[in-house]
Amino acid sequence: MTRTLYLVLIVAVSSVAVFYAIRLSGGDAVAAVIQPGTASLEAREQLRELWGLNLPIHEQYFAYMGRLLRGDLGNSLTNNWPISEMLIIHGRHSLLLGGAALLLVFGLGVPLGILASLRRNGFTDISITTLSVGGLAVPNFWLALLMVWLFASTLRWLPSAGCCSPKQLVLPAVVLAMEGLALTVRMTRSAMLENLDRDFVRTLRAGGLSELRVVGRHVLRNALVPIVSLAGLRIGQIVGYALVVETIFGWPGLGQVLVNAVLRRDYAVAQFFSLVLVTLVIVGNWAADLGYLVANPRLRNARSRAV
Amino acid sequence: MVSVTDRPVSPSGHRTDPAPLLSIKGLHTSVRSRGESFDVVRGLSLDVYPNEVLCLVGESGCGKSITALSVMGLLPDPPVRIREGEILFHGQDLVALGNKQMRDIRADSISMIFQDPLTSLDPVFTVGEVMVEVIRAHRDMNKSDARNLAGETLAKVGLPDPITRLDSYPHQLSGGMRQRVMIAMALVLDPEILIADEPTTALDVTVQAQILDQLLTEQRERNMAMLLITHDLAVVASIADRVAVMYSGEIVEQATVDELFENPRHPYTQGLLRALPKVSTVRQQLDPIPGLVPYLQFLPPGCSFAPRCPHALDRCWEEPPELVPDQEGRVFRCFNPQDFTER
Repeated sequence: MTRTLYLVLIVAVSSVAVFYAIRLSGGDAVAAVIQPGTASLEAREQLRELWGLNLPIHEQYFAYMGRLLRGDLGNSLTNNWPISEMLIIHGRHSLLLGGAALLLVFGLGVPLGILASLRRNGFTDISITTLSVGGLAVPNFWLALLMVWLFASTLRWLPSAGCCSPKQLVLPAVVLAMEGLALTVRMTRSAMLENLDRDFVRTLRAGGLSELRVVGRHVLRNALVPIVSLAGLRIGQIVGYALVVETIFGWPGLGQVLVNAVLRRDYAVAQFFSLVLVTLVIVGNWAADLGYLVANPRLRNARSRAV
Repeated sequence: MVSVTDRPVSPSGHRTDPAPLLSIKGLHTSVRSRGESFDVVRGLSLDVYPNEVLCLVGESGCGKSITALSVMGLLPDPPVRIREGEILFHGQDLVALGNKQMRDIRADSISMIFQDPLTSLDPVFTVGEVMVEVIRAHRDMNKSDARNLAGETLAKVGLPDPITRLDSYPHQLSGGMRQRVMIAMALVLDPEILIADEPTTALDVTVQAQILDQLLTEQRERNMAMLLITHDLAVVASIADRVAVMYSGEIVEQATVDELFENPRHPYTQGLLRALPKVSTVRQQLDPIPGLVPYLQFLPPGCSFAPRCPHALDRCWEEPPELVPDQEGRVFRCFNPQDFTER
């Protein structure tokens, strides 16, 4: 219960922060929309009034939140597109890209980590570990450029940008997933090794269970506790990186919409999509807390109270 | 708690008994550390007879647990492995068995329970899930039958509320309850031998007595042999039929429990008995054995106990004594045995 309350509270506080930050960032929405010298001062003033920009900032905030809660997301200031429509179209693209990245993070990261732990200090382990250190160390915008150079410009295997064919999905998904993937590999490996050394493993072997059951069921389930519980954080991370990756690969998702809106000073759009991304990150963190409770039976008694 | 006097007469007090159930012959188990290999069990031979409680006694690090794990085929290999020797069970050498055959023997014919019930149970599975898994690894049984068998066994080992406990996680149980779960897991398939490695060391004293009592009850009812590993001579006195005393990887004395406590022959055994605190009106100093356990990498050429022995002769420093029987049929490893005096 407590954690869900916190969730709501934090979302509310961040909405205030987002709202103020956009207004503090300077610039003028009206100036951004209207070409200089094309409208009279009165016309500009009228537009301000129409958008409610003359009201005190807190009144603007409550009016805006009121509209949001009624489901009225407003329109873009630059092209008058309904924001709700943008959310659906671009949200779908982002979901596809983010989903592919998450699949890579866990669907590939966990098996690679297990493999490394079972081949401890062997060639496979060292290769996997080295690559994952690399994945952690290389910033993703740089990785994106390298990948485009190698796979798109030089080898011409994959397109460098665009949406939304499977081929176009590969590069952005890999870049978006890389850091989370590397972290998951390393966490899985160390959690497996740690749990392989625990006393209960000996007890299970003494019970005559096969190695496959001991390692594949018991050790793995124990090792997954920290990994599952951090899945929510990976989601937050992917949301954050989506801004960069979508822009580089021209992937028309929420991140790209936000970046473009900020560049065009489209307050309405920038504000709304900042809120969406912030909320996603917060929900991801909340899911991390929840995941830990689900994955770890020792905390389950506390679950009903804490969630 | 069962005392020495009301214990039934041991069926296997002496070596004239029927064939041993388990026979360890010349076991050498070695550890590899920084490219160097040395034995932590040095030519140990030990027989376990049907229906008996045999206690393996010794200080920490003397090789008791390694001996037990050698029997179970559960040595952490690498770095620990059996270098030489046989472990015969029904005429079969366990050392030579393949993984699959050894798995079939574990829990079904030879079971083991461990010292710390807190860490020895898988924290993310319920008691019932693991027991069902163990049963079904050995018996062709459906899940609900296996669950019933698990519940019955938990009830038999004195776990209160056994059916509810099937769905408990280890962290929801107390130390004593966890150890009962371990016992139930080890006994659920009615093994012929139970190896208990310091089963009460991690428990508090009142619970220790209950658990020992339970083990002894089970051992009798199931006509099972029990190899109990302990460093606690009070436990030995209350439960053992026979005792083997280990020092630095080898057995230094072996006798029935009465013989051992009445008249220990090896100076190390004597030292252990003297080191026990005694109940008396006068407060006395404890009487520890001087010196430290030798490093197994750097054993003296002679008797490994010579550096700590009050009666060591020149010969003791030069050649290792053999394990020889005396007139009464007990065995010990000493060139210069003395009569036991309390102090």
